Amino acid sequence: MLSRVADSLYWLGRYVERAENLARMVEVSRQEALESFNRRKQSDVWRAVIYATLVGDELKEEQEKALEADPAYYIALSPLNPTSIAACIASARENARAVRDQLSEEMWLELNAIHLFLSSEKAHDRYRNNPESLFRQIIRFSIIFQGLSQSTIRHDEGWQFSRLGRYVERADKTSRMLDTLTFSEDAPSSAELLAVLRSCSAFTAYRAQYRNDVSLRNVAAFLFFSPDFPRSIRFSFSRIDTALLKISGTRPGDFSNEAERLAGRALARVNFTPIDQLLENGLHEEIDAVQEQLNEIGQSIFEQYVLLPSEIRRAIRTEGLQSGRLQQQQQQKTK
Amino acid sequence: MELKVYHRTEYRYSAPAKDSVNEVKLTPRDSKSQKCSSSIVSVIPAARPKPYLDLYGNRSHHIELPESHDRFVVEARIRIHTAPGLRVEDYPYGVEMSGLKVLSGREDCHPFLQSSPYIDVNPGIWREAVDMMSESSDVFQTCYAIMEHIFKEYDYKPGATAVTTHANEVIKRKVGVCQDFAHAMVALCRSLNIPARYVSGYFFDSTRDHRLRGSEATHAWVEVFVEGYGWIGLDPTNNKVVDDTYIVLAVGRDYTDVSPVSGSYFGGGTSTLIVHVAVRRVDVPLAVL
Amino acid sequence: MFQDYQTDGFFDEMFPKEGGPAFPHYRQVEEVIGGFTREKFLEKRAQTESAFLEQGVTFTVYGENNQGTERIFPFDLIPRVIPADEWQVIEDGLTQRIIALNLFLNDIYHDAKIIKDGVIPEDVVKTAAHYSPLMEGFEVPRDIYMHICGSDLIRDDQGKYLVLEDNGRCPSGASYVLENREAMKRAFPKLYQSLGVRPVANYPSLLRKTLEHLSPRQTGVPVAVLLTPGIYNSAYFEHSFLARAMGIEIVEGRDLIASDGYVYMRTTSGLVQVDVIYRRIDDDFIDPLAFRKDSLLGVPGIMDAYLKGNVVLANAVGTGVADDKVTYAYVPDMIKYYLDQDPILENVPTYLAWREKDRQHILGNLKELVVKSANESGGYGMLMGPTSSKKEREEFAAKIKANPRDFVAQPVVSLSRHPTVCGEGIEGRHVDLRPYVLYGEDIEIIPGGLTRVALNKGSLVVNSSQGGGSKDTWVL
Repeated sequence: MLSRVADSLYWLGRYVERAENLARMVEVSRQEALESFNRRKQSDVWRAVIYATLVGDELKEEQEKALEADPAYYIALSPLNPTSIAACIASARENARAVRDQLSEEMWLELNAIHLFLSSEKAHDRYRNNPESLFRQIIRFSIIFQGLSQSTIRHDEGWQFSRLGRYVERADKTSRMLDTLTFSEDAPSSAELLAVLRSCSAFTAYRAQYRNDVSLRNVAAFLFFSPDFPRSIRFSFSRIDTALLKISGTRPGDFSNEAERLAGRALARVNFTPIDQLLENGLHEEIDAVQEQLNEIGQSIFEQYVLLPSEIRRAIRTEGLQSGRLQQQQQQKTK
Repeated sequence: MELKVYHRTEYRYSAPAKDSVNEVKLTPRDSKSQKCSSSIVSVIPAARPKPYLDLYGNRSHHIELPESHDRFVVEARIRIHTAPGLRVEDYPYGVEMSGLKVLSGREDCHPFLQSSPYIDVNPGIWREAVDMMSESSDVFQTCYAIMEHIFKEYDYKPGATAVTTHANEVIKRKVGVCQDFAHAMVALCRSLNIPARYVSGYFFDSTRDHRLRGSEATHAWVEVFVEGYGWIGLDPTNNKVVDDTYIVLAVGRDYTDVSPVSGSYFGGGTSTLIVHVAVRRVDVPLAVL
Repeated sequence: MFQDYQTDGFFDEMFPKEGGPAFPHYRQVEEVIGGFTREKFLEKRAQTESAFLEQGVTFTVYGENNQGTERIFPFDLIPRVIPADEWQVIEDGLTQRIIALNLFLNDIYHDAKIIKDGVIPEDVVKTAAHYSPLMEGFEVPRDIYMHICGSDLIRDDQGKYLVLEDNGRCPSGASYVLENREAMKRAFPKLYQSLGVRPVANYPSLLRKTLEHLSPRQTGVPVAVLLTPGIYNSAYFEHSFLARAMGIEIVEGRDLIASDGYVYMRTTSGLVQVDVIYRRIDDDFIDPLAFRKDSLLGVPGIMDAYLKGNVVLANAVGTGVADDKVTYAYVPDMIKYYLDQDPILENVPTYLAWREKDRQHILGNLKELVVKSANESGGYGMLMGPTSSKKEREEFAAKIKANPRDFVAQPVVSLSRHPTVCGEGIEGRHVDLRPYVLYGEDIEIIPGGLTRVALNKGSLVVNSSQGGGSKDTWVL
């Protein structure tokens, strides 16, 4: 298939997933901030989610002010924020528009509807009157969209690319949420642990496995290693690996290009590392490693499937790379 | 049946050619068996084809290319309705061979009883023809027998003969393609005093497995004259009485008179000829209920 | 539904001027549609419109904030019916015309005999905005320049078909023909079936065949692609529709790369050589190295590959010179010159402002004429004399004097009318017809085409950008 089409589907998957994750995080943080008995300061509550959502560039003064004034609004809808949820959805729609013939009509209609809604006054009204329902609507959209993708289009190469985008994004967001627990020298409070679980929609699933025993060790183990919870890092890596192998037609356990090798290695690492080892290495350092792996995988997917073969790439470079879509690259760590 | 024909003839010259004068016969004549609704002859390099009727009533064009050129393309596009062929029970049996003598006095039959550039009416061929007619003294039955004989006994083999192969050689070697078979049949018929003319045209292979011969190029067959009926087409290459799958372009004494494109030019070095013919049936509109 | 219908003295497609029942080929349409109550009919229309929206048969209108809104192309449910004998004339006429236009293009880019013989002045050809000197001496594959042509036909007050213009660059609208047909089959299945309407559904496969016929590589399955300016183009729906229906890739300029005289597309399994490009981008934008430097839509180096014969562009570059409105006036002469035939379909009489005598006539009669800019399409740059203001006429007079080559004028031909659903009832609206001609090994004309309707009362402008709608066209 066309490289551009593959690229657009990959980013469509990422942006929809990102919008959903952001909506979850904002909603959880918003709830948490409401709890006045919480010992954390409002700004601390938001620090985590802000870290997980913003690109590395320094904020301009007006952006800083807007963020200060109403963090949830800034992350969700603010026109000053180029990486807001609304902006993610708009980017998803742009990518979808370019490959509309690859989507089912229903998928397009859902995406178009949420985009039109988020870019209208109605969304701002809704935020003022009933913010919870706004975030629920965004999350519900993503779930419906993924469900439609599952059941209304062919599970062909293009479909695998959008899946790839979704799970790369998901692993990134889950690991970032987990990382917020390492910000402080103090052990995280159970409220903080619960907030992270909720942000990953993992609360119910977690409880089924660990009862009410909420500890950093258990939360990290669950979000890192759960083989069957669909938002765990391990689960995401396993789907990334499968999607890559399906795209090239390589058999499981083997690899035919750099992206597959990296994904296979990352999967093996989460499959076979015990939690104690992980904590010993340092949770934050392990998360850093995951982020590093995701960046490498993303880059090698781009090089394998989107960029031109090297000899032509060189020729193009001298003229400056004119082709290729300018995508919002995943944010680098700024700590 | 409604048929469409696309016929492209392209000459490429290794050196520039000039003062090219050509005669093309690519426009079907109207008759009781066919009616041409549209016919366009176009030429590259640009030249206006001038229409005229030749000696035998064929619709011909004269094309002149005085300037230097390295290729010459003639395209014909034809759209035509053909009438259903004769039913077997209507075949014109019942005309005696003995009545043939008077025909040589008729102006429309006379040229088609003589020798011509590719056809030699001689005693050797007459003997062959007499052998084929068996006991019959019926004109149409005799013609049919000759057609059948050629179809069965001759070897259809593209490349075995040239465009200039004479009927005598074909009858001797019993090998060739449609042009040769038609020449042979014309010669055999004429030797028995049956007026026979050479026909060039197209035919549409409507068989499911496309087993008929000659549909991918211009085709050639024969028309014989049967008193009281007129000219009737017989195709020795496919052993068929001509029906609505055939389109008549031109008729003549032999290939010389009906060659689709003929002409001369100066210079040109070696020339390469590429011919492409496509005959297609126009989809029948659904009948109004 | 038809009781109160008035032809108002116009030539009407369905009813005789003098009144009485519909023409024989419209009898069944009259019976079936006439049998509906207004409510029932409007309900049917609502169903059809919502189906169009759902299926995304839309064009996009961009407003502020770059928020695309999708609109449907207004569609009228009363079909236009063309009997077989009329259609045969149209087919023969358009076939003759496209052959002559192709010979003309071949001629002017080679020996230019038609100019040397004084049939068409050199100025007309060489000053045409779309004349392309790069094409001089280039032998286009299969000698075909205009592979896809959409000529606009109108009927005068006697019902005679006339050619209004030829669209020989990137004619659009074919997808609507197919979608309109699907809608009509759903809305009136029995009527459609009983009339024996000729199908149009094979257009995409004929188009693909036409494209593949041109392939420079004759081994294997040729790789054909549709090149679109991108998703912001108002015809993007059509591009993606046709690409999907043909089963070929829809590509943007950045998906293609020209290297060493070949064109490749960038795919997930590497570079794939492209043989034929059905381009929906105008000449000017197709290659920044050869034409407009600022074009971001095209592919640098694509012209080089084209002129080396390694890739084919359909339509060829430089065909615009044949659909120039001044050249148009000479098409009947071309048919005579190249084919020695009389035109089967006539032109609308045309005055050329660059001819002294014609210009005086135009300037003296602006109020009675339609003035058109020679190189514009889509109904832009036009003056409708009878409905124009004095100021508009003065502006045009000045423009004509300044640039006589750029203007032609025609008498107002009162287009035929067709019963059309308007507001509450059925009224006559002016229509034209755009059949699509495919010139490959065969010359194919899809039976029917796009009947465009000027939905505004009395309007003669049928372009979609100016309040036009469409109808399905049924050829019997």
